[in-house]
Amino acid sequence: MSENKTLNQKIEDLDEKIEWFYSDDFKLEEATAKYKDVVKMANEIDKDLDELKNEIEVLAQDFTK
Amino acid sequence: MENNIFTPTDFAFAVNQTLDYAYSSILISGEVASFKVNQGKWVFFDIKDEETSVPCFMSFYQLRAPLEDGMKVVVRGTPKLTKWGKFSFTVNAVKPVGEGSIKKAFELLKKKLTDEGLFDFDKKRILPSDISRLGVISSTQAAGYADFIKILNARWGGIKVQVAHTQVQGIDAPDQIIRAIKYFNEHSEVQAIAIIRGGGSADDLSCFNDEELVRAIAASKIPVITGIGHEVDESLADLAADVRASTPSNAAEILTPDKNSMRTGVKLSVTRAGTMVISRIDAKRDEILDKINSIFREIKMSLEKIHNDIRQKIKLIEVLNPEKVLKQGYAILSGKVSPGSIVKITTYDKEINAEVKEIYERK
Repeated sequence: MSENKTLNQKIEDLDEKIEWFYSDDFKLEEATAKYKDVVKMANEIDKDLDELKNEIEVLAQDFTK
Repeated sequence: MENNIFTPTDFAFAVNQTLDYAYSSILISGEVASFKVNQGKWVFFDIKDEETSVPCFMSFYQLRAPLEDGMKVVVRGTPKLTKWGKFSFTVNAVKPVGEGSIKKAFELLKKKLTDEGLFDFDKKRILPSDISRLGVISSTQAAGYADFIKILNARWGGIKVQVAHTQVQGIDAPDQIIRAIKYFNEHSEVQAIAIIRGGGSADDLSCFNDEELVRAIAASKIPVITGIGHEVDESLADLAADVRASTPSNAAEILTPDKNSMRTGVKLSVTRAGTMVISRIDAKRDEILDKINSIFREIKMSLEKIHNDIRQKIKLIEVLNPEKVLKQGYAILSGKVSPGSIVKITTYDKEINAEVKEIYERK
């Protein structure tokens, strides 16, 4: 997964991968590898969520004048 | 002594200078009386208590809340001696105070702005669902602001929040908030503006019923959400905003998704995918078992058929068994059958040699 992807893109990617498990394309032989992949993606999203911080800037502008 | 002789104009100027120095900006609280608007431009009224009445003057555009006789207000301005020698208080700001007056002013202005269509529902815009740049207008020392930031940080991250620190109560608050709205509209790229103020008395929150502020909110190019006071507090600013949150915390909840819910959702999706794999394996196993059972049933049926055939044949063979026929009393005759020859007669339990005496046709 690209480092540049936003959290929402990562979640969309994960949803897409998870769709496969419910689709007609599902193959038992590929399931283990694909499942490991989604677990890895979920862990990455979890880590991203932990690291999310807001950047708060109080403007220097004086609004009294 | 002669140096102290003034012309009337100089005297008025000197008095006004002194008044301006001593009372450059003072607040007077009292009841409105004799309210009138001249030529749609000039506002005259008296502000009075039980004993004294002070004549007030202001321009109509500075009047930011509807006034009526009997309303309690606070006015801010400077005393002045006019060129006609009359004393007047020049008002630059007026604010209704006391529950009754605030409510009255609120209802009058609400009706006026509603009639103008300022609060029409079809003018409301939807807030962006994925906010990455947010403008906040609040007092950074206020509890409501702290609540808003706390919930915002707990729920989500990655947002660039620009905070315009302004007063959120008092006679100066509306103008400061208006300047902040203008700043965000003209000098920033925020996707939404949140106007935040915690709970307070009707008087504390009355600045959010300022006509110019309400108009500035309605005119903002950037969508505005208000989180002012508590659930029960309704201001005209709330009605003009695109979205009204019930509290500052609720504003943060509306603006952001909850990362903990998202984390739970992601885990649940992965767990469900795992459960799906197990179900698919179970389904596959059942399918194989069904096939095995089907093959087994077919083999069993074939074997039963063969077994039945053999039993049928055995029965037939048994019917044809000579011993069984002999047992029924029949006999087998063997040997050449001609008069005088010896033939062998076999019965169930005997073998007999007999001579043929005579041969004739059966009738």
